[in-house]
Amino acid sequence: MSWQIGDLSSEDRSRLSTLLVTIQKKVDEFLGYPCTARFDYSALFPFLSYPMNNVGDPFIPTLFKLNTHDFEVEVLDIFREWVHATKDGFWGYVTNGGTEGNMYGIFLARELFPEGMVYYSEDTHYSVSKSLRVLHVRNIMIKSQPNGEMDYDDLRETIRIHRDVPPIVFANIGTTMKGAVDNLDVINGIFHDLALHERYIHADAALSGMILPFVEDPQPFDFRAGIDSISISGHKMIGSPIPCGVVLARKANVDRIARSVEYVGTLDTTLSGSRNAITPLFLWYALKTVKFDGFKQIVRSCLETAEYATHAFHAAGIEAWRNKNSITVVLPKPGAHVVEKWQLATQLDIAHLITMPHVTRRQVHDLVDDIRDGGIDSTVKRTQQ
Amino acid sequence: MKQIVVVAKNRTGLLADIFEALAEHNVNIETIDAEAIDSSGVLILTVDRYDDALVALNRIPDISAVTEDAIVIRLKDELGALARIAKRFKNANISLRSVRILQRDDQYSLVAISTERTDEALQLVSDVIVA
Repeated sequence: MSWQIGDLSSEDRSRLSTLLVTIQKKVDEFLGYPCTARFDYSALFPFLSYPMNNVGDPFIPTLFKLNTHDFEVEVLDIFREWVHATKDGFWGYVTNGGTEGNMYGIFLARELFPEGMVYYSEDTHYSVSKSLRVLHVRNIMIKSQPNGEMDYDDLRETIRIHRDVPPIVFANIGTTMKGAVDNLDVINGIFHDLALHERYIHADAALSGMILPFVEDPQPFDFRAGIDSISISGHKMIGSPIPCGVVLARKANVDRIARSVEYVGTLDTTLSGSRNAITPLFLWYALKTVKFDGFKQIVRSCLETAEYATHAFHAAGIEAWRNKNSITVVLPKPGAHVVEKWQLATQLDIAHLITMPHVTRRQVHDLVDDIRDGGIDSTVKRTQQ
Repeated sequence: MKQIVVVAKNRTGLLADIFEALAEHNVNIETIDAEAIDSSGVLILTVDRYDDALVALNRIPDISAVTEDAIVIRLKDELGALARIAKRFKNANISLRSVRILQRDDQYSLVAISTERTDEALQLVSDVIVA
């Protein structure tokens, strides 16, 4: 049996129409979250008519033939180049989003070092606390610097106390609220100084994993900088109507935990069972059509808009700032009406504008005007920088 | 009797928000102890319906509700302060499950520590304990 829109009651059809109009309107005031609204996957719509599923390891043939594993592997290989993993030295898969990629990274680290201690900064996304809880890994939160980077002195002292257990550092490559990048060179320097040979770094590069490969002077962020795994979102800078991402890890580490398959009886170490087969296709389509040079241009434009927005806020007397190579513009938390209208994410006394590809200079000006008219939140004392 | 520690930045209407949220979930407060610590407010509550209270409190966006499985301590915001506390646990051979910063201002941090040996841990940090 199949069904059609005509089978819905007129009331339910009306609800769908209203929802569509609401979404179409709200996307014009979508400035606070790092998801681009610019994409067109209509060429792929025919694939939505089939029960496709990417269950299992994308690199291993499966009996479930309605899959897009070949495309998924191509997507992973493109990301591999961008994050400088070696051709034969990596493994990965397309995830349901950044959280799953981060959880995989922590899972891999815990399997390698069951006694390890995870260190993560105050500015880390809240979903990481959930993953640490789920995975039952010991963990210590490290202070952040005012710009959102980890406080390296605090990290050094805390690791020094626990030198007998392998450190697992959860590094932010672009924090959620401030777009700060933890300095991997400094973190590796701490490992070196403390003579720690068993250690693991996972990079949460949800947004900046699609920025730093395309800028002239990126902060260290990838496998060249000694990371062991990385999670990058697909629905943020690339864009997708369905949340997705990729996780890549050193194959040698993934192979080392192969013994754990005894418990589950399969070589598949992806976290999900059934996996989305459409999102790898979306990513493949975007990567093949936009290509490296296209993303370079998009990222440059986003950075220019961020710089423009920072100046526009300053011109209006609003104390805004951003980190290097970041499209996240931090500002004092505006009044509730402005936050609601422009869908701005807030934390304590700050908010941010993220200049994703769909954000225009006109929208920036409208936001600045609204803040100037509506003021900042009465509880804000000062912005942090 | 189970207790909940609520940590939040001091602001107008904080107490009212907490009481209102608990009342909406039909939670009765049995005891309450409130303390201002620097720019933060700390409330130690005992309630008749523990789980409902946690659900209610977790819906207030700018507060942290800490269950009695965790110990809340106050530390000077200086280099190595947290590491020194961690060392006490290490010397006592008590494994830390998690260490989480709840609030921080220019001078002090409020930190939640969870271990598998809470009673012994309480003694270890008695000089800096908040709840």
